[in-house]
Amino acid sequence: MNNLDKLPKKNILSLFMTCGFPSLNQSKKIFENIQKNKPEIIEFGLPFSDPMADGQVIQKSNKMALDNGLTTKQSLNLIKLISKNKGKTSYVVMCYLNTILNFGIKNFVNSCKGFVDGIIIVDLPYEEETEIKFELEKNNIYLIKLISPMTNAKRSKKLLRNSNGFIYYISSTGITGTNKLNYREINKNVKTLKKITDTPILVGFGVKTKKDVLIINTKTQADGVIVGSAMIQMFFDLNNNLKKYIRSLDRYIKSLKIN
Amino acid sequence: MDRYNKPNNIGRYGEFGGMYVSETLMPLLLELNESYKKIKKDKKFQSELRDLFNNYVGRPSPLFYAANITKYLKGPKVYFKRDELNHTGAHKINNCLGQILLAKKMGKTRIIAETGAGQHGVATATVCALFGLECHIYMGAKDIIRQKPNVFRMKLLGANIIPVEIGSKSLKDAMNEALRDWIKNVRDTFYIIGSTAGPHPYPQMVRDFQSIIGKEARKQILSIEKKLPDFLIACVGGGSNAMGLFYPFLNDKKVKIIGVEAAGKGSKTNLTAATMTAGTPGILHGSYSYVLQNNDGQIKEAHSISAGLDYPGVGPEHSYLKKNKLAEYHGITDKEALKAFQLCSKLEGIIPALEPSHALAYLFKAFKNKHKNKILILNLCGRGDKDLFTAAKEIGFDTDE
Repeated sequence: MNNLDKLPKKNILSLFMTCGFPSLNQSKKIFENIQKNKPEIIEFGLPFSDPMADGQVIQKSNKMALDNGLTTKQSLNLIKLISKNKGKTSYVVMCYLNTILNFGIKNFVNSCKGFVDGIIIVDLPYEEETEIKFELEKNNIYLIKLISPMTNAKRSKKLLRNSNGFIYYISSTGITGTNKLNYREINKNVKTLKKITDTPILVGFGVKTKKDVLIINTKTQADGVIVGSAMIQMFFDLNNNLKKYIRSLDRYIKSLKIN
Repeated sequence: MDRYNKPNNIGRYGEFGGMYVSETLMPLLLELNESYKKIKKDKKFQSELRDLFNNYVGRPSPLFYAANITKYLKGPKVYFKRDELNHTGAHKINNCLGQILLAKKMGKTRIIAETGAGQHGVATATVCALFGLECHIYMGAKDIIRQKPNVFRMKLLGANIIPVEIGSKSLKDAMNEALRDWIKNVRDTFYIIGSTAGPHPYPQMVRDFQSIIGKEARKQILSIEKKLPDFLIACVGGGSNAMGLFYPFLNDKKVKIIGVEAAGKGSKTNLTAATMTAGTPGILHGSYSYVLQNNDGQIKEAHSISAGLDYPGVGPEHSYLKKNKLAEYHGITDKEALKAFQLCSKLEGIIPALEPSHALAYLFKAFKNKHKNKILILNLCGRGDKDLFTAAKEIGFDTDE
């Protein structure tokens, strides 16, 4: 059974957080808090030294985790540990391909089996996905597709054939956590995608405030939102104070919840 | 065996290469690939590029018989392919002219580039000035300090220098930031990559534009010696000057091809840039090739005295050539390169850049009293002006007085 098959029809909330950030022990506390709030989806980011599709906030969080000696194995163990209280929440791993290649594709998929519902591989385009998709399908893990404003309708059709879980719609031609949202353009593009696929569409990149979340959910045909950089930035804004951070994070997540 | 025909239509050199980028960039790269395929056959494009090569760069660059080094070595007859005489002092300009013409044809108005030593940045700023296009250069904060003269050159040429303060603050981070800029500004921006690295079609495009080096060298040596060379030697960082020299000879089975990497303090130490000697296959900047990485796939920082070779990756075509034994690759340390830098200056009256000093060092090391009556071409891909301060400091000469 894959939790992503049971996503609600509307107002889906997906929360991204870097594994092992700022340290392994503290990360455990942060994820426990996120899990306690029961979002529909938690995205576990695996730190990479050169996260070229992410913004500087996420890169900074990756570097902090890696400087503390975090390994892929430790990240996967952490996710497994948190998943004891998973319930209906879907677990998605977000990473770069080099991490998987070094771990070994089969080994990686096997290590995710049973508690991970989906994987987003940021730098794996449709043209290169065959081998990994095969392994994931064997183990009932979905390969989540990214669509950007640069992806035209013809290409979207090709990419979204047999799509599963949800579609990660990149709200702007930007990197995570930067540009301002353009609701009109988002809605136009989401509408086009809706004609192509029945898979839920989540909007990510630049979603920060409660207002952003409400507008995307009410003014566009999108089925939900992904919030990431804003949750990490909060840690730096609080001068890396973990206690204060977890309290603020908790309030913040509660404010974003609609379902 | 069939004629050499890499890459295939999806940018593969055997298992290496490819396009490992996010979906924000993918449509762009596919568009760039289509445009490049079309434009490269265009006669007008070709003649415009040829005219710039001849009259702006000063091509063809001479093939110089290095008689003194030949005498010193008591080995092969040594020829220098003198791309250090090009406008802007290195081979980088060849590729920048090709790519900016392509950018113009594609209607792009804003140019970005990354630079390590500053040579590619200077070449990019130069062609932007020539064509009147907006130019932004990403450069690691560490390299800005190391390469001050080139920073000033770029500013004079009208470029905006953007210091990169994150990561290791050197070339690989500058490239990450440039890729981010491109993702953000995909619609009007053209990214001029300076090496045979990055996602397809860059490795192919850069090689094709640089292959003028090898095409000229082949013609020149056939006219002087009436036969092909026995050896080709070039330094390899990302690998553009080397691919430029090697490519037109890949079907000549008797020509032995040698790439020289920067081993830094030694290829077995952590302070190295010898990607193919010390690295393993992985993905960096959108391409599958040898990279310096730890067991967990985290990319390591590279080290070399030469900022132009200070890169933890290498172009995918070099990985293919190595794996299929079409070329061999060796490491040369900072120390050896510095010695060759001085020896070449004294023997031939040519101050080489620290990058080709690595190729020279291998020549001095492996060809002394060996391979008599053979013919060798070494790519002298850059001049040493930019390295004077670095070299003086290493040698212990005080430039302040």
